[in-house]
Amino acid sequence: MYIIKEDQVTNIAQELHKEYQVYGPVLEKETRQTMFVKADDAGEIDLELPIPANPAKHVLFPQFERIMSYTYDRKNKKAEIKPDFDDAPKALFGMRSCDLSGMLCLDRFFLGQEFADEVYRNHRKNMFIVTNTCVEPFKQCFCVCTDSGPSAHEGYDLNLTDLGGEYLVEVGSDKGKKLAEKMSLPKAGDSHKKEKEKRVDRSVSLFDSLAKDNKAWISRVVNRVTTGLIDEKVWEYIGDQCLECGACTFVCPSCSCFNIMDPVTGADSADRMRTWDSCAYEGYSRMAGGHNPRKPVEDRRNKRFFCKLSYSQSKKYLRPGCVGCGRCAWVCPGDIGLPNVVTYIRREIQK
Amino acid sequence: MSEINNTTIPEIATIEEIKDEIVDVKTFYLSFDERKGGKAPQFKSGQFVMCTVFGAGEFAVSLPPSPENDRFHLTVRKVGKVTDALHELFAGDKVGIRGPFGNGFPFDEIKGKNVIYVAGGIGLIPLRSSIMHVMQNKEKFGRILLFLGARTPRELMYQYNLKDWKTAPGFETYITIDNPVPGWDGENGFVHTLLKKVDVPVKDTIAFVCGPPIMFNAVIKELTGLGISEESIVSTLERHMKCGIGKCQHCSIGRTLVCTDGPVYTYRQIKTLGEQI
Repeated sequence: MYIIKEDQVTNIAQELHKEYQVYGPVLEKETRQTMFVKADDAGEIDLELPIPANPAKHVLFPQFERIMSYTYDRKNKKAEIKPDFDDAPKALFGMRSCDLSGMLCLDRFFLGQEFADEVYRNHRKNMFIVTNTCVEPFKQCFCVCTDSGPSAHEGYDLNLTDLGGEYLVEVGSDKGKKLAEKMSLPKAGDSHKKEKEKRVDRSVSLFDSLAKDNKAWISRVVNRVTTGLIDEKVWEYIGDQCLECGACTFVCPSCSCFNIMDPVTGADSADRMRTWDSCAYEGYSRMAGGHNPRKPVEDRRNKRFFCKLSYSQSKKYLRPGCVGCGRCAWVCPGDIGLPNVVTYIRREIQK
Repeated sequence: MSEINNTTIPEIATIEEIKDEIVDVKTFYLSFDERKGGKAPQFKSGQFVMCTVFGAGEFAVSLPPSPENDRFHLTVRKVGKVTDALHELFAGDKVGIRGPFGNGFPFDEIKGKNVIYVAGGIGLIPLRSSIMHVMQNKEKFGRILLFLGARTPRELMYQYNLKDWKTAPGFETYITIDNPVPGWDGENGFVHTLLKKVDVPVKDTIAFVCGPPIMFNAVIKELTGLGISEESIVSTLERHMKCGIGKCQHCSIGRTLVCTDGPVYTYRQIKTLGEQI
């Protein structure tokens, strides 16, 4: 554990910038929104900004991504395929713990199943992660209900906590330790550790008064969602409010459905692109020929909440798929962000 | 898996020969450019591959050849953008192949049992691999029955195989055509009605069913009515698939993914997954 002065904390980002592309929370001038984006200058990153509007998912799972390119010469009967994906080392600086939990879900899903995803692995293998403890919850947060905050437990290289005037720097890996030593940061003492615990406890206690938007006791509904013992009417009510925009899946730190297409780039060449997809879309499960086994919108919404809340999916992620960031509730044009869905299901259980 | 890793990046194969099967259905015989002798990767009956048509896209398709000693081929119906483009190709053209993926048919569990195949139309394509395998190892199984339905005689798949199967000893073939047609002197009616007309073994029997949803449901009703248990009815499902390796999630049914947990399911599994066929 180390200590760094508040006005020097972005020096860590500067240091990382020498070796990595650095991503972090940046205030977008036009929209005045906090976005988690690539910072050309590490000085743009501000750790005091509120939770970013987008999770860091797009760094290792971009919305549009080329995974290979190929040429085919039909006249001479020749074809050539070339793997073509980005593997530049990237650093995520000032990531919130909910977003890190979402990323760990993706790690287990993309790398821990029967097949490992090569493209994802390339993004992930040289990544440096610096998390930032939320010493105060934001309006839409409910990470205390999903065990993913307000402070990260695992998966980071360095974890920062604002102690007022200075930051505690916790080390989570050898890579992180090396960087802290390279910057010759002063060691932290027991009092700093105690202060961090105090601040995390205070943050948790503030959820009642500050995080007013959402409450989601997901542990109460996991059983019902897994067994499917939920009245069809509840899903219909939820489906009725879905406008099929797909926004919830795009801002979700743990949603990872993708589509694959081959846009033509020349007379005899094409790319293979991987793009985000959403289970909200009607075409999601439609097969060639038009047969669609999952047509009604409530079936499709049911699918998303099954992914986030069921025990079977949790086994793949080794935790619930929902990480409590509250973004789906924030962007939903209806009223079916995950916390509300949990409320609807609980209401039905209590009947 | 073979030494060539094609799970993400396809390997290139050459179309050696194209055979017209029925209207809109062609068989493409392939050799693999990067493998010794053009030999196909090892696969199990019931698995599938992802086939890239350059400049058009990629689609999932079942494997009809027997895994033992058959020329590697894909039988594809022209049904959408990518398969349309495949049908435009000629012998000598290249395609990309990833796979094989999926679980395959449970052959170890069915040794010594009677085997029933029920196929509707092009539902015979994914079953062909299994039929060829069982034919070659006839002594390991009990009675072998094939029930096949098609709209017209011209829409019967694999007519060159059917000829052999009809006369093969120990192999019972029953074929029906939906409506009477001049020149057809066989059975008429939907394929599930055939099951009523024949003495179908029930004890120690496994049934492979594949076909359009309406036919599937009618056949299931008939088979379970005869007393064949839900675990003994096996089918292979098709879904919208993009990756084949359990990542894109398009093929999810209930808590399973057709590409890695399927495509072969028992009817008991299909029922509890709670989605329509």
